[in-house]
Amino acid sequence: MKGNTGKIISVDLTAGKVGVEQIPEEYYSKYIGGSGLAAKIFWERGNFDADPLSPEAMLLFMDGPLAGLRLSGASRNSVAGRSPLTGHWGDSSSGGYFAPELRFAGYDGIVITGKASSPSMLFIQDDKIEIRDASEYWGRGTGEVTQSLKKTYGKDFKTLVIGPAAEKLVKFTIILNDGHHATGRAGFGTLMGSKNLKAIIIKATKKEVAFAEPEALDALRKELNVKIREALPANVLHENGTAANLIGGMAVGDVPIKNWTSNYWEEASEALTGSTLTEQYLTKRGACAFCGIACKRVVEVKEGPWAIPEGPGPEYETIVAFGTLIGSIDLAATCKAGRVCNDLGIDTISAGGTIAWAMEAFERGDLTKEDTGGIELKWGDMDTVINVVLPMIARRDGKLGELLADGSVAAAKRLGKGTEYTVHSKGLEAPMHDPRGGGHGMALTYAMSPRGACHVADPMMFIELGARFYPEIGLDFEVDPRSSDNKAEAAAIAVALGAIENSACFCEFANGEITIPEWVDLFNYTAGYGWDIEEMMRAGRRVFFLKRLINYRFGLTAKDDDLSPRMLEPARDGEPEGSAVDLATMKARFYEIMGMDPEKGIPMPKTLEADDMAEEAARVW
Amino acid sequence: MKKEAFMEYWKDDKEPIVYFLKLFEACMKDPELSEGLKKVNQLIWFDYTESGPECSFWVDTRGGKISAGAGKPAEDPDLTMSLSADDAHRSWSNKLNPVMAITRKKIRVKGSATGLLKLAPKLKKVADMYNKVLADNNRSDLIMK
Repeated sequence: MKGNTGKIISVDLTAGKVGVEQIPEEYYSKYIGGSGLAAKIFWERGNFDADPLSPEAMLLFMDGPLAGLRLSGASRNSVAGRSPLTGHWGDSSSGGYFAPELRFAGYDGIVITGKASSPSMLFIQDDKIEIRDASEYWGRGTGEVTQSLKKTYGKDFKTLVIGPAAEKLVKFTIILNDGHHATGRAGFGTLMGSKNLKAIIIKATKKEVAFAEPEALDALRKELNVKIREALPANVLHENGTAANLIGGMAVGDVPIKNWTSNYWEEASEALTGSTLTEQYLTKRGACAFCGIACKRVVEVKEGPWAIPEGPGPEYETIVAFGTLIGSIDLAATCKAGRVCNDLGIDTISAGGTIAWAMEAFERGDLTKEDTGGIELKWGDMDTVINVVLPMIARRDGKLGELLADGSVAAAKRLGKGTEYTVHSKGLEAPMHDPRGGGHGMALTYAMSPRGACHVADPMMFIELGARFYPEIGLDFEVDPRSSDNKAEAAAIAVALGAIENSACFCEFANGEITIPEWVDLFNYTAGYGWDIEEMMRAGRRVFFLKRLINYRFGLTAKDDDLSPRMLEPARDGEPEGSAVDLATMKARFYEIMGMDPEKGIPMPKTLEADDMAEEAARVW
Repeated sequence: MKKEAFMEYWKDDKEPIVYFLKLFEACMKDPELSEGLKKVNQLIWFDYTESGPECSFWVDTRGGKISAGAGKPAEDPDLTMSLSADDAHRSWSNKLNPVMAITRKKIRVKGSATGLLKLAPKLKKVADMYNKVLADNNRSDLIMK
């Protein structure tokens, strides 16, 4: 094989056994790699009856075919399995440095089942793969553990580490790579925690990959690196990070405020935007492997209550989740909150969303001091959030910690109140982009996304911004963000394209510069898939469909392709005031275009057969 | 009035610059826009020369002062925005999605646009001022509905 290695590491933590196995070659060109390949492996081998936190549950780490290629944005890694937060299919990706190291070591992925009898870690150095004791790291924060692992094994070992929250089975936890890059969504740190797996460390001796057409690939790679680096988005991201356009987002009503009760907060724009972070706290910029954009922030808050030493800084999602969403415009506090979440191993999006829900519940009187153990939850009270609530969640400490540790949806259910103002789709707290302002098509793709509300499962957000133009696949029309017109048509292309991008494990911030013919060339020159445009798009649809089939086997149907009521209310203020998403109309049209059954929520047999999925169809129809 | 074949809105390549410079004069008098422009702190060249060699102007927002003039600036600009004079008219009228225009290569950007990006939410206000400039100069026919 070229690009891919065709090999994955299999780990059975219960038996204490590791091994290497071959993956059938046809899986790759049919399901691309990354979360697509993970879905195929899960489909074939996963236990659909197993609780996500049981030893039988499967945890997959998967590279895309481009991992190890010296190309900006191309070396992310996917983690997948049954989400402990949502109970259905989940996948999440991270930049950083793990993916190329795994490829260089000779593997495309790691599949983990079982549960170790005591805290353990997985050690990988080329063909030496061992389960080692990790008792000394248990209970410790990600920062301390990462440093300790690097000190013990060497800085050139790449690390994946979980925090104390995952050990306590908090359901929205992260896996942190090299202390900075988070696999954030859907709670996969918790799967590691449930398996007593504290860390994975890896080092490859050779830094080489055999490509299908090395000369053609090298020329294309060099051309793309220049194009990506010189493009306006890269320029802006490099300078001011992922929060660079927060002012623009606020102006159109894309930034959620106080648990999505408002779409405009004038003072927040300047206070929280990326250039303010640059001016006030940035010490240097960071990058993922081989990336020329370098959008990562390294910050230091020198003084005040939120003083933190130089280290990883917050992304846009963290800034808003611990800013406007919970009623604060204190940028230093978002830096501190992000750092605390990283160390505890908590997803900032779900944490911010859950705390915002709790603040609204407290304001309404649905959540009382009796429920919280005497703690008052007030908008913008960052001292309570950072010093009290986050540590309580991470330890499942007290009534409040236990209530919030399973996320907002479970908390509302347990409380018996407040479901109507949870903000999620399929149990995953929504990211920090409000479709009522940002674009109604994004509401549709939030609802259709197999993992739940997600702005990076597909490029719909960028399409509605006007930042994607792909005439070769019919995406050559303009869309008005605050309308339903043409959104289903755009979404039908977006979900396939998103599946391609995510299965390739390519960064959404870098891949916008790649044309459709260049995408095809990239796959062919790297992995020899032999695709044309149509075959590539079929592979994308196939991945999207397969994840939906998996969800169907978990019990999800068309009715689960929905948004919580708060997201469907008309916007109350700002630019989108009065704007309401017509999800039902867009959804019906999307189902029609995609050839999906309006009750079951899965592709109809003829749809599956058209995309060479007759075998999969036979298992569900 | 006969227009050049390659331009939908303008009779020649000098005409749009007259109105664009008047627009910037108006912007400089507006406290909010003037403060916003000063924060950009760049020498910007609005390069519309694809519509004719005389079709460009510069705005200098460096050092807490704002000035503007026709043509290419004497110094190398920090930021160059290249587009057609017709698309510039659509842009100042807030009828051209700048992100879409950049994606479709109608606008080419050279240099750092980070500062200018912060002013994007003010485009509506700028468009109102542009329409007033056109009306005050008896060119209401150019106002885009």
